[in-house]
Amino acid sequence: MKNKKGHPKINYSKARKAYLRKLKKDKLLVLFCQIALFLLFLGLWQLLADFGVIDPFFFSSPSRIVSTIIDLGKGGNLWIHIWTSLYETIIGFLIATILGVLIAILLWWSEKLRRIMEPYLIILNSLPKIALGPMIIFWVGSGTGATIVMCVLICIVITTISMLNAFISCDNDKILLMKSMHASKLQILFKLILPNALGDFVSVLKINVGMSWVGTIMGEYLSSKAGLGYLINYGSQILKLDIVMASITLLCILAAGMYFLVSPLEKRFKK
Amino acid sequence: MENLLEFKNVKYFYQTKENEINALDGINFSIKEKDFSSIVGPSGCGKTTILSLTAGLLSPSEGEIVLDGKPIQKNDGRIGYMFQRDHLFEWRTIWQNIILGLEIQKKNKDPQKLALAEDLLKKYDLYNFKNKKPRQLSGGMRQRVALIRTLVLEPALLLLDEPFSALDFQTRLTVCDDVYEIIKSEQKTALLVTHDISEALSMSDKIIILSKRPAVVKKCVDISFSGTIPLSKREDKEFGKYFEMIWRELI
Repeated sequence: MKNKKGHPKINYSKARKAYLRKLKKDKLLVLFCQIALFLLFLGLWQLLADFGVIDPFFFSSPSRIVSTIIDLGKGGNLWIHIWTSLYETIIGFLIATILGVLIAILLWWSEKLRRIMEPYLIILNSLPKIALGPMIIFWVGSGTGATIVMCVLICIVITTISMLNAFISCDNDKILLMKSMHASKLQILFKLILPNALGDFVSVLKINVGMSWVGTIMGEYLSSKAGLGYLINYGSQILKLDIVMASITLLCILAAGMYFLVSPLEKRFKK
Repeated sequence: MENLLEFKNVKYFYQTKENEINALDGINFSIKEKDFSSIVGPSGCGKTTILSLTAGLLSPSEGEIVLDGKPIQKNDGRIGYMFQRDHLFEWRTIWQNIILGLEIQKKNKDPQKLALAEDLLKKYDLYNFKNKKPRQLSGGMRQRVALIRTLVLEPALLLLDEPFSALDFQTRLTVCDDVYEIIKSEQKTALLVTHDISEALSMSDKIIILSKRPAVVKKCVDISFSGTIPLSKREDKEFGKYFEMIWRELI
């Protein structure tokens, strides 16, 4: 006997069947509550706005947000804003992640360099990167370049520190084992240090998804001619808070989309 | 049988910020080919340092270590090392773990070496698990895999650094038997470091007793029992006598 997927059918005991049923039920219940909570929030928000309990001018409402998004979409500029932010975030995310990992490898390779760089990393990590905003505009000019640099600055230090910690926390006996087999430092790096840190790398990716959006929006606040951060800034300046809320909604959708693209890696690589 | 390993007046000092520590103060002993020898001694006396020196991971401050007539070199390829824990790489399958050393030494395309790895897996009942991940194996099976990973490199001498200390007592006894039988049937020379006198007694042909730091060899005891496997040796009436004698040397 085979099931629908073609796997052999297993005869489970009554207790096992009940347990599996309970697991499925719990999963559905959690999903139902999540959706219900979201719908309740939207419904309540809409009702409070419709009955004048909250002022839609300041707080907007779900229907106003949808119609604003449709209007912006009809104007044709919405896609430019979405694409600009998405492009800046992805480029910033990739540059920061790749450079951060490479710097971490360099610092793992040379203990002396690591000790020299330690105070600088601590200072850079605690520095609010937004303070560098005016300097960035002078260095690379306003627009996409500045936003990407801001995004990179925000993500790179935390990537370097997290990956370096993952590299140096590798069990010393494992390194000795590799050395006892004559492994070169490069072999230790590629066969032990990097695969051993894959779980931490996925965590860093997940953190960087959020951080790179922070960088992009900060960069666009500072100076930009397009992007969702620009749209939020523009909406607040002309007192059209519907535009602000619509942009925030789109931002939520895009950030969640990127997060869900990265999170399946966790299941695969986390031990 | 001839001596395979010889420690000739080996001294080892290591440096700390505060001062220089004299860890080994002229160690002399020898190990015969195909013998199973153990080193016992008080905690922190330098047992693992002796293994690191033998493996070429450290160099002696004075004296000489000779393996098969030639001095030990840095990262000497004639040595296989087994650690306290199995240190299997979780992201690799059992087969990939076993050929790790071959990969490092670029011998993973050598059909003879690969055949040896397959044979060892079959011989020690692990062939059906070759595509599994380490987490799917029991503690005892993992230790067998770790031993095979060392054996495929065909070392002249096997160093075992308390390889059973991370196991619970019952598993420890059976794994002890397993590892002993594998080493004997592959006709390997082994040097075990342990703080457990019973374990040393049940596995060894010779026990080297170290003093506390700075360590010297207090006594070398040749062991002989009627039983052939560690578990049966524990039941030998001489076991208690040997145990007491070694215990007296250690306190």
